[in-house]
Amino acid sequence: MNQNKRSKQWFYLTPSMILIGAIVIFPILYTGYISLTNMSLYHWKDFKVIGLANYGRALFKLDEGFLSALATTLLWTVVNMVLQIVAAFFIALGLNAPGMKLTRLYKTLLMVPWAMPSYVSILIWRVGIYNTDFGLLNKFRAALGLSRISYLAENVPAFLSCLVLNLWMAFPFMIMMFDAAMQSVDRSLLESASLDGAGFFMKVRYVLVPAIRPIMLPPIIMTAFTTFKQFDIFYLLTMQKGALTGSTLQTIITYAQQNAFVSNNYGLSSAVSMMIFVLICLFSLYSNRNIGREDEIG
Amino acid sequence: MSAKKVKNIGRLTILHLVYIILCLLALIPVIYVFTLSVSKGTGALSTGLLPKSITPDNYVRIFREEPFLQWLGNSVVLSVGTMILAMLTAVPAAYAYSRYRFKQRGTLLKSLLLLNAFPQILSMFAIFRLYKLLGLLNTRIGLIIVYAGSMCIFSIWNMKGYFDTIPVEIEEAARMDGATDLQTIAGIILPLARPAIIVTCVMVLIFVWNEYIFSTTFLLQEGQYSLAGGLYQLQSGDYSRSWPLFSAAAILVSVPILLVFFRIQKYMVSGLTAGGVKG
Amino acid sequence: MKKRILSLVLAATMAVGTLAGCGASAKGDQESEKGSGPVSLTVWHDGDEAIMKVIEDTANKELEADQISLKFEKKTGLTDQLKLYGSDEQNGPDMYLYAHDSLGTFAEMDILAPVTDFIAKEDEKDLIPMTVDACTYKGTQYQLPLYFESLLFMYNKDLWQGDVPDKTDDLLAYMEKHTDVQAGTYALLNQHSTAYNVAPIINGYGAEIISKDGKAGLDSEVYKEALAYNQKFAALQGDGDYNTIAQLFNEGKAQAIIGGPWLVSGIKDAGINLGIRSLSSFTLPNGKKLAPYSGVQGIGILKYAEDGKKEAIGKALKALMKPELGQELAKQSNCAPANNKSYEDQEVAANEMIMAIKETAETAQPMPNIPQMSVMWGPAEEMLAAVNKNGTAIDEAAKTFQQKAETAIKDMQ
Repeated sequence: MNQNKRSKQWFYLTPSMILIGAIVIFPILYTGYISLTNMSLYHWKDFKVIGLANYGRALFKLDEGFLSALATTLLWTVVNMVLQIVAAFFIALGLNAPGMKLTRLYKTLLMVPWAMPSYVSILIWRVGIYNTDFGLLNKFRAALGLSRISYLAENVPAFLSCLVLNLWMAFPFMIMMFDAAMQSVDRSLLESASLDGAGFFMKVRYVLVPAIRPIMLPPIIMTAFTTFKQFDIFYLLTMQKGALTGSTLQTIITYAQQNAFVSNNYGLSSAVSMMIFVLICLFSLYSNRNIGREDEIG
Repeated sequence: MSAKKVKNIGRLTILHLVYIILCLLALIPVIYVFTLSVSKGTGALSTGLLPKSITPDNYVRIFREEPFLQWLGNSVVLSVGTMILAMLTAVPAAYAYSRYRFKQRGTLLKSLLLLNAFPQILSMFAIFRLYKLLGLLNTRIGLIIVYAGSMCIFSIWNMKGYFDTIPVEIEEAARMDGATDLQTIAGIILPLARPAIIVTCVMVLIFVWNEYIFSTTFLLQEGQYSLAGGLYQLQSGDYSRSWPLFSAAAILVSVPILLVFFRIQKYMVSGLTAGGVKG
Repeated sequence: MKKRILSLVLAATMAVGTLAGCGASAKGDQESEKGSGPVSLTVWHDGDEAIMKVIEDTANKELEADQISLKFEKKTGLTDQLKLYGSDEQNGPDMYLYAHDSLGTFAEMDILAPVTDFIAKEDEKDLIPMTVDACTYKGTQYQLPLYFESLLFMYNKDLWQGDVPDKTDDLLAYMEKHTDVQAGTYALLNQHSTAYNVAPIINGYGAEIISKDGKAGLDSEVYKEALAYNQKFAALQGDGDYNTIAQLFNEGKAQAIIGGPWLVSGIKDAGINLGIRSLSSFTLPNGKKLAPYSGVQGIGILKYAEDGKKEAIGKALKALMKPELGQELAKQSNCAPANNKSYEDQEVAANEMIMAIKETAETAQPMPNIPQMSVMWGPAEEMLAAVNKNGTAIDEAAKTFQQKAETAIKDMQ
């Protein structure tokens, strides 16, 4: 059996490896290759390998503008993750409370934000919620006799606006994931946890959390990466061409996009992408040193 | 009625109130979109949450002027195809990572995570080159492979954690009875991990359903677009941007997903607790 | 157990079947025969489908006898798509229809064939010279102009009080009197933080976003003066986002709007009593006229389409430049045709908007078509947004964004 097992894992892994190789790894290698060439508008078809010159130029892109974008991205990721995890946990917990009715309806309604294509949601929020003239927020303020506010013109309000929108869009997945995780936990455990008294929080802390932790860790890590990479919200809400709002909020990805891709210099922009990719890798290796350990628990 | 029961009812009422408020908060933007979608062309954005007058015109227009049903069909084919391909590759992989302790396991798992950090949009150019070489441009299978590949890492990670919680003893018992590997996976792991598999499938479905950049780039005829791609075309023209029309299309795109959500709720309970096997 | 395995196997078989089926069915449609027999030419565009329909139908009627047919397909994000498909003969289009400002980019990429490979120069003698110039890059003409656009002063005749002034200063005074930002009622709206929409003032001040030889001009003194002047207008124009201002005008909350012919169908639907003035009829404080950019919509031909389809493309281009096609465009879609002869039609000559565009275009400058322009829109707009919306001082913004623009231009090489 052991012998049998040893070879079998590769049989199970190969299909996924081929797929990931073609769609994820090949593009990274190809980007790496292009970063070594002089491919640009002026050498569109006749580009050639020029070595590391693009990296020399890309280094200059890692200036204080980049550092502030990095700081923004980190803050963004941490705030988002903390709020999502805490709130989604309690929302899912309530949905699993014994005697709770109508949960199917609530769950479906809570999933609604997820069902809309993200760019549709973002455009709707920009025009329908945050817009100074038509937005619901300003209509609400007007009804209270308050003056209009431009929500996206300055960085702090723009950051908060993006945050609220991202939470709105991300909650459904987190709630659903926590819900699924709690479904795997023994009913009796939840029931005992819901008994009155000081025991409730203790039980949640010492019984429920450890039980769902191994299930929730992977999706939470995945979500953290997605949050880190978030581009659409910042771009469509504050910096779409023809609809700039005045805020100068930048994340790593929008910074890379602005500094590399508009130029149509594929060699240079690939070098910038590769450097940012390597930085993200180093950063996540550093911050997730304990993933490996957690992993062995499972 | 005991004091405890009264207390319980009281608490449930508060819980219900909380959820009603939460649902309302989640729904306000959606209600607003719906209001827009049933409004007449002009003055729509000035209305509040409740429409001044109701008209189905925008919905009718979409069905009449756009190949909506064709797009819907395309979306279904793409989503189902991607779901099948992603599951056929990710379920065995997640199973292997969960059950086998081989030397490269930790490294591979972590590498997958790091690979996932590469922004997908940057891959467009490379995949285009690859597809041109393989003749996969302008084919649905090509697009399905892109989608499945993009969701594969996520799916593996998402399901692996859940597989880990299924006691290995159940499996071993089945093996003792002479079940083959395939039988064990299909008969025990899949039903027990149902919630995780369903959530992952839904995630894949939503990804495909809402994706528009690859779909409008890799497919060339308007009739081949998915709903999100077609909708993107609809709003992108500065000329033809009509919010009520756009909103109606947004609602129409979302409805099938909501129906799916509603349907799957009852399958979300794990076979584990349902069967009461956990020991 | 058996049932489960069976269903699994079934599902897998079905999956393979579906996938194989998709692969086969999505192909086709693209190939068209070369040489004799019917030829189908694909044209990609990113514009209004109604306008394209007029062009397609009119040209196809003309080309019927030659067994040539044009097929217009909308591709959102056309420039990005052409970067991918522009050298992919198998999947790419034969031609595209787009504004002339991205011409330099495509020409440098070496994916375009010169128009003069297909038609003789004298065939173009009826075209308005400005439109041909706009479609010419480094001495070679790469696009055949079909129609052109420019910004206009559009006003609601039922709301505007008195005559529309001739001086921009008087316009400003009128705006101050008739605008209530908190109540959301405006005198004149403009996309005050969009470079294209501020260009009338910038150009009117003699400033340049980019010079002919590709140097960014965001920090010149005249440019700063132009922005300071625009800022006075911006303060009275609310958010200035495209959707917002179009909507406000259509709802009768704004008396006038600076916009292009693309707004008209929406305005007509809203039942607004529309009046039109050419922007070049307004005088700036420096005594010069407002000078908007003009954009020329034209047909470009992909290089690879030249083999085998050369003759068909030549015939198609000739059909596309017929004065009758321009007349149809003018009558059905309010487009200003590039062919001078189209204006001999009385109905066209009587069209207030088309004549206003034509009047403007004769003094307006074509948008620059050098590739460097494509990286200038970003910094120029960020600068406008910083000044108008974020309250950044003009001098500071000029320094920041001039530097950004210079870096972006340098990065292209």
